Amino acid sequence: MSPPRAPSAPPPARTARQLREAATAARRRARSDADVNPLRQGLRLERVPDPCAFVLFGATGDLAHRKVVPAIYQLWRTNLLPAEFSLVAVARRPYSSEAFAAELRASLEKYSRVQPIDEASWSELAKRITYQQLDFSDDAGFDRLVEALDRLDAKCGTAGNRLFYLATQPSQVTEIVRQIGRVGLDHEVRGAGWRRVIVEKPFGRDFESARHLNHEVNKVFRESQVYRIDHYLGKETVRNLLVFRFGNGIFEPVWNRSFVDHVQITVAESIGVENRGAFYEETGASRDILQNHLLQLMTLVAMEPPSSFQADALRDQKLQVLRAIAAPDAEHVRRNVVRGQYGPGWVQGEPAPGYREEPEVDPESETETYVAGRFEIDDWRWSGVPFYLRAGKRLPKRATEIAIQFKETPLRLFRESAGDPTPNVLAMRIQPDEGIMLRFAAKVPGLGLDVRTVNMDFAYDTSFVVDSPDAYETLILDALLGDASLFTRSDEVEAAWAVVTPIINAWSEMQAPHFPNYAAGSWGPEPADELMERDGRRWRRI
Amino acid sequence: MAKDLTAPRPLARSVSEIEGQLGKLWARAAVARAEAAKAEVALVAAQAEAAARAAASLAAAGETIDAAAHHVAARTSVLNLVVLAGDSRTAERCAATITATASRHASRSLILSAQDTGGAAGIEARIEALSLTTADGRAETGAETIYVTARGETGNHLASIIVPLLVHDLPVAMWMPNDPPFGTHRADRLLPIADRLIVDGSDWSGDGLDLLDKLAVVAEERRLVVADWALLRQSRWREAMASMYDLPDLRPHLGAVRRIDVDYAAAAPGDPGWTTNVVRPLYHVAWLASRLGMTVVAPLSRAERGRRLATLRQRDHAVEVVLRPVSSDLGPGSTARVEITSRLRGAELIGRVAADDRTVNVSVYDDGRERIRRSYAAPRLSDVDLLARAVEEGASDPVAVGALAMAHRLLGVDSGSHKAGSNGQARQNAGRPLEDRGNG
Repeated sequence: MSPPRAPSAPPPARTARQLREAATAARRRARSDADVNPLRQGLRLERVPDPCAFVLFGATGDLAHRKVVPAIYQLWRTNLLPAEFSLVAVARRPYSSEAFAAELRASLEKYSRVQPIDEASWSELAKRITYQQLDFSDDAGFDRLVEALDRLDAKCGTAGNRLFYLATQPSQVTEIVRQIGRVGLDHEVRGAGWRRVIVEKPFGRDFESARHLNHEVNKVFRESQVYRIDHYLGKETVRNLLVFRFGNGIFEPVWNRSFVDHVQITVAESIGVENRGAFYEETGASRDILQNHLLQLMTLVAMEPPSSFQADALRDQKLQVLRAIAAPDAEHVRRNVVRGQYGPGWVQGEPAPGYREEPEVDPESETETYVAGRFEIDDWRWSGVPFYLRAGKRLPKRATEIAIQFKETPLRLFRESAGDPTPNVLAMRIQPDEGIMLRFAAKVPGLGLDVRTVNMDFAYDTSFVVDSPDAYETLILDALLGDASLFTRSDEVEAAWAVVTPIINAWSEMQAPHFPNYAAGSWGPEPADELMERDGRRWRRI
Repeated sequence: MAKDLTAPRPLARSVSEIEGQLGKLWARAAVARAEAAKAEVALVAAQAEAAARAAASLAAAGETIDAAAHHVAARTSVLNLVVLAGDSRTAERCAATITATASRHASRSLILSAQDTGGAAGIEARIEALSLTTADGRAETGAETIYVTARGETGNHLASIIVPLLVHDLPVAMWMPNDPPFGTHRADRLLPIADRLIVDGSDWSGDGLDLLDKLAVVAEERRLVVADWALLRQSRWREAMASMYDLPDLRPHLGAVRRIDVDYAAAAPGDPGWTTNVVRPLYHVAWLASRLGMTVVAPLSRAERGRRLATLRQRDHAVEVVLRPVSSDLGPGSTARVEITSRLRGAELIGRVAADDRTVNVSVYDDGRERIRRSYAAPRLSDVDLLARAVEEGASDPVAVGALAMAHRLLGVDSGSHKAGSNGQARQNAGRPLEDRGNG
């Protein structure tokens, strides 16, 4: 028997080509070594971002006051922002910097997740807030913005780094991006600062408009500079889904068509459209939830393990899932996708109006407030496993959950038992009561051999009695650090629209159901239940 | 937020009495859980009723839930924390830290102290059950703290008390807040219980290096995960030092380090008795050396004016190390400044980090020209932060392992070079130019 061959260095180069390849490999290795800061390895603290100016467009709007500024305050309070940080608030209304800061302070009283407000922290942050009145179509206004940012670099040491946050109406995005490009604020010069832009969803309203929007944004910014924010991906439990799948060895072997019967993903809201009637009339549940939240959760459940948690490695795998979902044709939509709209009813002991009675909503509206569908992923892992997705407003409770239902045992050994054991279910609760539940069969204590289904329930609160950061805190910090892994790439957006747009188009050509077709406080329209019953299944009672 | 919801209970005088009290405690919790479940059923039923009846039922159900909410619903299942407090004063200090930490890392905590070592053998134990509430005030989970005072001979057999009181199948973190009894029979019996050892090298007596040496040996021999607060405390320094080389054009300097200077606050000017604890300054060097692929040429030795010198090698050049005691308002042994000097293609880069209670300041000079000047808001970590971090990591931190192993090598593996005058080679090297020193 020959001795085992020790793993060794590559054989010496013998030809000119081999020499060239060896030299290239050595250069690559050297470059890769130089790209990594060895002192960063294993640092447990979040890296503090570079000095920068955070330019918030739409600063007087609801999103800025409710989410963005409270997130910045929280990051500042916990020392996760650099001392050389400046918040440049940009909007149309006239304000002085001091008056605007005072308004933000009042908003924090309402929306900050940590109360009371830490006065010392706030006063330090307030010193770094400036307000810039600007009409987005005003060229001169953007010229002044450039000057203001240059002055900030000199005064506050923001070092030419800029993060533009577009917390504006979707229709204003292309104009703002064009103006940023016109005045050259997108230009990254080596050593003279980075430039990034955060774009809020919706990313278009169908495939074509999404592609157009991506085209317009990418005319100015390179894709690596663009951070499309879907706050769902910043939620702690959504991120934990990746840890659950890829940090535990026991689940991956059964995470496929051999063991999984089907998957249910639910995004249920008990509230109606609140004061967003006009917005919702333009979107509906398909655009508002299915195209982004539901499909994002589906990709995280179904994706192959990425080679690393680098942004593109992760997003490549998610993209593969989206591309493996067959684009539904009209017949598929008719059979497998259900839409609904709520009528009056009772939700959590309170009377609730129907959708058509909500403010800013057309009394004859045919906008769907509920969508449910059966989707299949045509790949090696999931072929033949249906994914049932549903989302709706005015359902009995707020709940977001992913449930993996496993196949039944091949042989019913306990058929004499008083109750049949139901198949195993692994349910991941995203909100509220974040946790993981595994349902399995257990023997009922006693002389007989009765089997009953029991739940093994893990609640995050019992192991981590600590408040999770808000999704916006996570995502804004990631953008400041240049980590795009929790943001959506342009091809992902387009692939998601490629799934949803045929549904919307098919609906536009079909006769709408008789809306309203479910009562507020119920679990949705009957056809959604029929969709499951046809497959011999039913929606989980959440 | 954590508070004791239990009524004062009698002292337990044996492990079985402790177990009995714990059993009663959790039986009551189970009843409370059942009451809460019944209330929830009432709530669901009420929702199905007509509006008028629902209001009344909901109110009743709410009252039941409120009553149940005063009880602990479930024990947390994170880890066992065993504290070898030694004396009652340390026990109280540790208990206060654990209580403040409990909302992040709830556990069963055993705080052991010894009294009257020459007296009759026996134990006295007191149990506290804590309700840990979330920010919105829900009483979610519970944890116990068991205070055990061992008297007489029992103090030498603490392992026999600890083992039966551990929550099964949970990891055990052992916290030794004072000088650890490494090398004693007591330690030999206690350490096998632990999955993780928590110590504070910056609090050790003398210069701390003798215990640091032993810690490294224990960690390696027993494959023990070590969390040393002295190293954890430096996380803000490490962050700052790493930031100096984030600029791509400065990063190559990490491969061309020529000198590392660490100034630390001395207990007395010049540290004449060599009594200042230098574990923290040494960790700075050990961390840098382990991250930057350096080897030890000449281990740490004492030099004039209280300085300690060592020589490292990086690639083909020597790296001079100087630990220097300075007068400072900081506590003895605290790092006052770290300076890293590198030379690459004729250009000299000097990176300096200094810190106070709240901020860390970084400056970098490229051939005398200022390239970076930054301040980070990074407050000094409290004991609560340190304990939380010490137990937070489930597995061994390779960076900490590397730093501890390098510290061990810097101390001189065989000769105990840190002892006064014990390393002739190191002493000889101390006065010679760096490039002349042997490769060791």
